[in-house]
Amino acid sequence: MIQLHNVSLAYQQDASALNNIDLKIAKGEFVFLTGPSGAGKTSLLRLLYGALTPNRGQVLIDGQNITRLPASQIPLLRRSIGVVFQDFKLLQNRTVFENVAITLEVLGWGRADIGKKTMHILKLMGIESKYNLVTQRLSGGEQQRVALARALVNDPKILLADEPTGNLDDANKNQILNIFKEANIRGTTVVVATHDRRLIEQSYKRLVTLNKGEIVEQVEKETASDDKDL
Amino acid sequence: MNKWKKKQPATTKTFKRPTLAGDGFGGRAGFFFSRALTNIRQNVFVNVVTVGTITLALLIVSLFLLVFVNLENAAENWSERVQVTVYFDKELTAQDQSAFREKISMLPGVSKVSYVTRDEALRRFKSRLKGQETLLEGVRPEVLPASFEIALKRSYRDTVSVENFVTVLKRIPGITEVQYGEEWVRRFNSFLNFMRLLGGLLGGFLVIAVIFIVSNTIKLTIYSRRDELEVMALVGATRFFIKAPFLLEGLMQGMVGAVLSVVLLFGLYEGFLHNAGSFLTFNPVTSGLSFLPPEYIAGLLLAGALLGFIGSLTSLKRFISV
Repeated sequence: MIQLHNVSLAYQQDASALNNIDLKIAKGEFVFLTGPSGAGKTSLLRLLYGALTPNRGQVLIDGQNITRLPASQIPLLRRSIGVVFQDFKLLQNRTVFENVAITLEVLGWGRADIGKKTMHILKLMGIESKYNLVTQRLSGGEQQRVALARALVNDPKILLADEPTGNLDDANKNQILNIFKEANIRGTTVVVATHDRRLIEQSYKRLVTLNKGEIVEQVEKETASDDKDL
Repeated sequence: MNKWKKKQPATTKTFKRPTLAGDGFGGRAGFFFSRALTNIRQNVFVNVVTVGTITLALLIVSLFLLVFVNLENAAENWSERVQVTVYFDKELTAQDQSAFREKISMLPGVSKVSYVTRDEALRRFKSRLKGQETLLEGVRPEVLPASFEIALKRSYRDTVSVENFVTVLKRIPGITEVQYGEEWVRRFNSFLNFMRLLGGLLGGFLVIAVIFIVSNTIKLTIYSRRDELEVMALVGATRFFIKAPFLLEGLMQGMVGAVLSVVLLFGLYEGFLHNAGSFLTFNPVTSGLSFLPPEYIAGLLLAGALLGFIGSLTSLKRFISV
């Protein structure tokens, strides 16, 4: 599903953000990306949804080399990728419903279908009662769930999340993690970048550790972790 | 929005992908339009500021146009006085009159030829010296020359054309004395050219200033919504899809601004007509002032729409880097 070959990225000439990254993520995998701040987690994610192009190497999504993709094709790529941002990137003066519906509007869905599907996903996230509130009046955890709903509402093939549990308490963290797992069970490939050790210990299947732009460690558990602590 | 509440799905069910509305602008026009209207409703203040700026900017331009058009009209009227006169020592016979009239009328640029008899010339002279008729005691019509007065068509009233016309006129046998107020024609035409140049320059500066102000206002409004542009790009909207509602919004703002400015201008014009008499030496109602002709108004509306549209287009370019 996701393949990176010899990918190097530098924002400035002599300061490389990523160095010779080789990574393969199969369809339906659930991968944690970890490492200290500045290790290149966010840069790696941004490569995957076409916000950055690498200076060297190839990035393949679903067999498509996105480093060679013309700019006009990038939007089409993004429609199959849901992204949850560290800072949520919600529209503060729009309602919860509008924030989530925007994904489907972009796809050209009809009004009625957008309404049904959006309310459905809001219900899954447990925030359907807040559909008509503007997002700036929500708590951090609720905003996070709106961001997740927006990323998941069109059943993307890939879900990318950058520090999705950054400012959340444990109860909220577990709920968010559960949502990731459910999406994963429905067939979405999930890549979560986080340095929240506890979150990882709880539930990882595959863990990729980055440091200074290089992959320093890859751990894979043979069996899926049990969910009893969630 | 409340209708969604009633339609909440009772159970979780799978959704199959619905058929898409038609692609391109045609198929999505309704969506873009309603999105643009929603944007306007949700950003009332910003829109009021933008429309207000466009209105004022176009009002300034149209006020300038109004003054310019009326000055131009006045100049056209003054140019009626560009007239070529052919003098004859003696009264012409009816036969000669019609022969000359025919020859002169055949020259290019002639709009009217009229014969002034000696008696008529004396009558005019007298009326010009009203109150001092005694000066003309003993003056008989024979002292004054008979003449042909030739009015020229509009496009033949500039200095060079008048001079050319006179040269051709003098080639007609029997015509020797021609007067056309060379000095006046030259001065009048150089004044006209100066006025047009000044008007063009001022108008040009005004238009540039207006474009600059309006495009910056629009840029600010779009800047205040750059997060929206970003989010749309991140969920996979094409550039066209992101831009279209903003462009429609700009178009609407421009048109509303243009209509408002024309309405305001008309209000100012009417107000001037009916109140200026008290502080001006002439009565504006009878002085032949006119409002902008319809093609100018159409031009203003078009300019407003274009201003909004192009302002949005250039501003968007800066913020969309998908």
